[in-house]
Amino acid sequence: MSTRSLRDRMLDPSDRALALLLLSPAIVLILAIVAWPVAKLLANSVMDVRLSQGVPVRFVGLENYAAALADGMFWRAVRNTMIIVVVTVPGALVVGLALALLANMPFRSRGPIRLALLLPWAMPLAFVGLIFAWFFHSEYGIVNDVIRRLGYTPQIWFNSPALTLAAICIATIWKTSSFMALILLAGLQTIPNSLYEAAEVDGASKWTQFREITLPLLVPSMLVALIFRTLTAIQSFDIPFSMPGPGEETQTLAMYIQQQAVDYLDLGYGSAVAVFMFLLSMATTWVYLRYIRGDER
Amino acid sequence: MTAPQSSQALRWFAAAIVLANGFFPALWILATSFKNEVELTAKPITWWPENPVLTNYIAAFKDQPLPVYLMNSAIVALLSMALSLFVATLAAYAIARLRLKHRQLILTTIIAVSMFPLVTLMVPLFEIMRGLDLLNSYWALVFPYTVLNLPVCTLVLVSFFQEIPRDLENAAMIDGCTRLGALWRVVVPLAAPGVFTAGTLAFVNAWDEFLLSLSMNSAVAYRTLPVGIQMYQGEYAFPWPTISAALVIGLVPVVIVILLFQERVVSGLTAGGLKG
Amino acid sequence: MRSRLVAALLALLCAWPSLAQDRANLRVFVGGQQRPDIMRELFREYEAANPGVKVKLEVGGASSDLHQKYLNMVLTARDTSIDAFLIDIIRPAQFAAAGWAEPLNAYLGNDLETALGGYLPAYRAANTINGKVIALPALADSLFLYYRKDLLEKYGEEPPKTWPELARIAKKIQAGERNPDLQGLSFQGKAVEGAVCTFLLPYWSQGGEIIRDGRFAFDRAKAEAGLDMWLGMVRDGVAKRNAAEVSTDDTRKEFQAGKVIFGVVWGYGWNHFQKGADTKVSGNVGVTTLPAMPGGEPVSCMGGWNWAVSAFSKQKEEAVKLIRWLSTPYVSKQLAIRGSFHPAFTSVYEDPEVLKAVPWFQDALPVVATARARPITPVYKQVSDALRINTNVVMAGVKTPAQALDEIEQRIARAVRR
Repeated sequence: MSTRSLRDRMLDPSDRALALLLLSPAIVLILAIVAWPVAKLLANSVMDVRLSQGVPVRFVGLENYAAALADGMFWRAVRNTMIIVVVTVPGALVVGLALALLANMPFRSRGPIRLALLLPWAMPLAFVGLIFAWFFHSEYGIVNDVIRRLGYTPQIWFNSPALTLAAICIATIWKTSSFMALILLAGLQTIPNSLYEAAEVDGASKWTQFREITLPLLVPSMLVALIFRTLTAIQSFDIPFSMPGPGEETQTLAMYIQQQAVDYLDLGYGSAVAVFMFLLSMATTWVYLRYIRGDER
Repeated sequence: MTAPQSSQALRWFAAAIVLANGFFPALWILATSFKNEVELTAKPITWWPENPVLTNYIAAFKDQPLPVYLMNSAIVALLSMALSLFVATLAAYAIARLRLKHRQLILTTIIAVSMFPLVTLMVPLFEIMRGLDLLNSYWALVFPYTVLNLPVCTLVLVSFFQEIPRDLENAAMIDGCTRLGALWRVVVPLAAPGVFTAGTLAFVNAWDEFLLSLSMNSAVAYRTLPVGIQMYQGEYAFPWPTISAALVIGLVPVVIVILLFQERVVSGLTAGGLKG
Repeated sequence: MRSRLVAALLALLCAWPSLAQDRANLRVFVGGQQRPDIMRELFREYEAANPGVKVKLEVGGASSDLHQKYLNMVLTARDTSIDAFLIDIIRPAQFAAAGWAEPLNAYLGNDLETALGGYLPAYRAANTINGKVIALPALADSLFLYYRKDLLEKYGEEPPKTWPELARIAKKIQAGERNPDLQGLSFQGKAVEGAVCTFLLPYWSQGGEIIRDGRFAFDRAKAEAGLDMWLGMVRDGVAKRNAAEVSTDDTRKEFQAGKVIFGVVWGYGWNHFQKGADTKVSGNVGVTTLPAMPGGEPVSCMGGWNWAVSAFSKQKEEAVKLIRWLSTPYVSKQLAIRGSFHPAFTSVYEDPEVLKAVPWFQDALPVVATARARPITPVYKQVSDALRINTNVVMAGVKTPAQALDEIEQRIARAVRR
C-alpha cells in the first residue's frame, strides 16, 4: 500500500510528459489527416478554384455557398441523403433488434449464427451495392423474378427515383443491421436473467417484459451505435454509387461532392458543399449528445 | 435473456431467418458466378446453375490483375491495422491510466474525428498527398485509414484498459519494469480480447474502403480490391458473371478473417467494448 | 595478377549497365478497351527500330470515364511518370485549357498542312484547339445504323433516310413478323456517354449546336423536337419500353441475338454481328449512315482516340517521336488489320490489304465522313453529364422534355461561367 502511493508520487512529475508522449502519434496524425485538410477545405470554399479550365484562382467570399443554396442539384442531394438517413437508421435499428432477439435464442451451436451476423458487416459496401443492383435488375434480377412468380407486375426499379431509393435503403439496412444486431446482442447478454424471472413471478407477459426490461436496458448500447450509424448514413456513397437510378435523381451529398471535385475539378464549389455536409454531421452529433446528456439528468 | 420454454420449432425458425438474412446475398452471387451467359439471362431464372462453368473465374483473373488487387488490399489493411493499434494503444493507455487534466476533452476530440466525413476531406487530402509525393503509394491510404479507425480503436481499448486492475501493473513496475514496459508486457496481453476486437474492426474498415482508394491510388499497381472490382465494367458492357466471380474471390479473405476472429469480435463487443 | 583481373572484371561490370544505358524509357497509358496486346506488339516494333528506347505500357480502366478519372488524378498531381497517353476525342479542349498536354506545333514544324493533311478533316479539327495541336489521331470511330438486310429485303424496303421512315419500316416488319420480342429500333437511353450522342443526333440533324464560337448556343425547339422523336419511338412500340435502361452493349447484344431490326452502335458492333460466337445475324447485317430528321442533314456522332504527350513528361522529345510514329498511316493500317480499328486517314480506308481484312470499311468511310465532333469545350464533362442525364430521365419518364431542357440550360450555363 505504502509502496504504491510512493511509486505513484515518484511517477507523478513524469506523468504529464509521458501522457504527451503517448498521445503525440495520435495528435500528429489527427492534425495532418483531419485538422489541416479541414483548414484547407475552409480556405478552398471561399475561392474560385477550377482546375480543368485554367481559370485563375481568386477569392470569392461566400459566392460558392450562395451558389450551393441556389442550386437545385445540391438540394436534391440533401433530400436524398436525408431520406437515406431517416429510413435506414431506424430501419437498421428495428431489423437489428429483431435479428438480435432471434439470435439470442438458446441454440446448440452459435458459430453459424455468429457468422451470419458478421458476414454482412464485413462485406465491403461497394460489393453490397453491386450485389443488390443485381438483385433488382429489371430483367434478370431475383426480385422481379419472385414478383413475376407471385403473379404481380415486375418493376423497372432503376427507372424510378422512388423505387431506386427504396432499393438503396433495403441494401443499406441489410448491410448495417447486422452490426447493430451484434451490439444489441452484446447488450442483451448483459441483462441478468433474474430480472426476467422476477417479472415472470409477477405474471408479466412476454411483451411487457420486453417493453419494461429489455428495451430500457438496451438504450445505452443503442445510442452509441446510432450516432455512428447516423454519421455513416450522412456519408452514404458506395451503395447509391453502385445502384444508380435514372439520371442523377438519386445522387447523395457525398456523390455530389465527388462529382464536383473529382470529375469537374471545381474544388471551390466542391469544398463549399463539403462544408455544408460537415455542418450537417456536427449538428447530428450535437443533437445526439444533447439527448444522451438529457437522459443522464 | 434465455427463453427456455421456446419450442424447438421456434428456434429452427429463428435460426433460419438469421442464417438466410446473413448468407443469402453471398450464396446468390456464388450461384451466379457459375452460370454461363445463356443461363444468366434465362427467364424464369434458375436458382442454382444447371450447367456450372468455371469460365467466369478464368475471365475474372484474365481481365483484371485480381491477385494484385487482393495483395494491395491486404497490405493496406494490415499496415493500417497495425498502425491504428499502435497509435490507439498509446493514446488509450494515456487516457485510461495517466492523470490527465482534460481526459474527457481528449477522448471527445479523438471521437470527433468520425464526424468529419471522409468525402469532405478527400480533396485537401489529395493535395496533401500530392505535396508529400505519396499519391499512388500504400501510405496514401494507410495514414487516412489509421485516423479513420482511431476513434473506434481508442474507445474499445480505453474500456478494456480500465478493467485491468492497477495492482498487476504496479507489481510489474516494482519488479523493475518501466511504465511502458508494463504497458507492453502486462496491460496489452491482458487486454488481448480488446486488442483483437479493435484490430478486426480496423482491418475490416480498411479492407472495405472505396472512395478514398478510388481517388488516391489510380495506378493499377496500388489499386485495392473494392476499386478493382469496378474495373470489370467496360466502356459498353457490364459483365455480371465475371463480376460475380470476382466478388466471390474478394469475399474469401473477409470470410477467413471473420472465421478466425469471430469469437474475439463478439466477446469483445460483449465485454462492453462499444459502449464507450 | 589475380587482383588486377578482379579489378578489370569489376570495371567491366560497372561499365556494362552504362553501355546499355537506354536513351529513353517511355511510359505510355492506354485504356483496357484499346487492345493493349496489339499496342504492346507495336511498341516492340518501335523499340526494335529505335535502339535505346524502351516503351512501357500502363493499362487503365476499360471505359472512357474510368480512363479519364485516372488521368484527372495523375495530371492534377503533375505526375511526371507518364509520358504519353491516349485521350478520348471529346477531351482535347480540356487538356488544352488545363495545360496537361504538350502542344505539338513546335515539333511538327511550320508546315502543319503537310503534317496534318492526311487526316480526316474532322479529326484534325477536333485535335486543334485555338491553333494549338493538342493530340494526333490514333483511332477513329463513329455511330452507325446497322440494319437487318434479310428483313428489309423480305419486305421490299430500302434503308431509311429519315427517322419517321425508319419508324414506318420497323412497324411494317414488326407487324409482319408477329414476334413480340422483335424490337424495331435499339438506341442508348441509359445515362452513359452514348446517350449524349442519342441527344445530339436529331439535334444536329436540324442544324442545332451546343457551343458556337466558344459561346453556349442552345436551341430549345430543336432539342425538344429531337427528344420527342425518341419518345415517339418508345410510344409507338418501335423501341422497347425500358429504353432508359439500354446501354451501348445492350443494343449490341440484342441486335446480335436477332431481336432488333435497326441498331445504333459504334464500329465495334460489326465484328460481333458477323463473327461473334453466338451471333444469329451473321451475313444479314447492313450498315449505313444514320437517318436525318425530316428536312435535315444525315449526321453521325464521331468517336475515337488520340495520342497526346504529357506536359509534365521529362522526355518530351522522345515521347513526341513515338506518338508521331503511332499516328502514321502505317500504324493505322496495322490497327485496322489486327484490331479492326477505324483509321483516321482517308487513304487507309482504300488500302487493298485493309479492305481484304475488313471489307466493310468500304461502307464505313461515308458514315465516318458525316461524323461530327461532340462539343469542343474544356468543360466537356459537365456538358456531357447535363445531356446524358437529361436524355435518360426523359426516356425514363421522370421528366418532361421541357423540364429536362431547363436543367440542361442551367447546368451548362453554370459550367461555362467565367
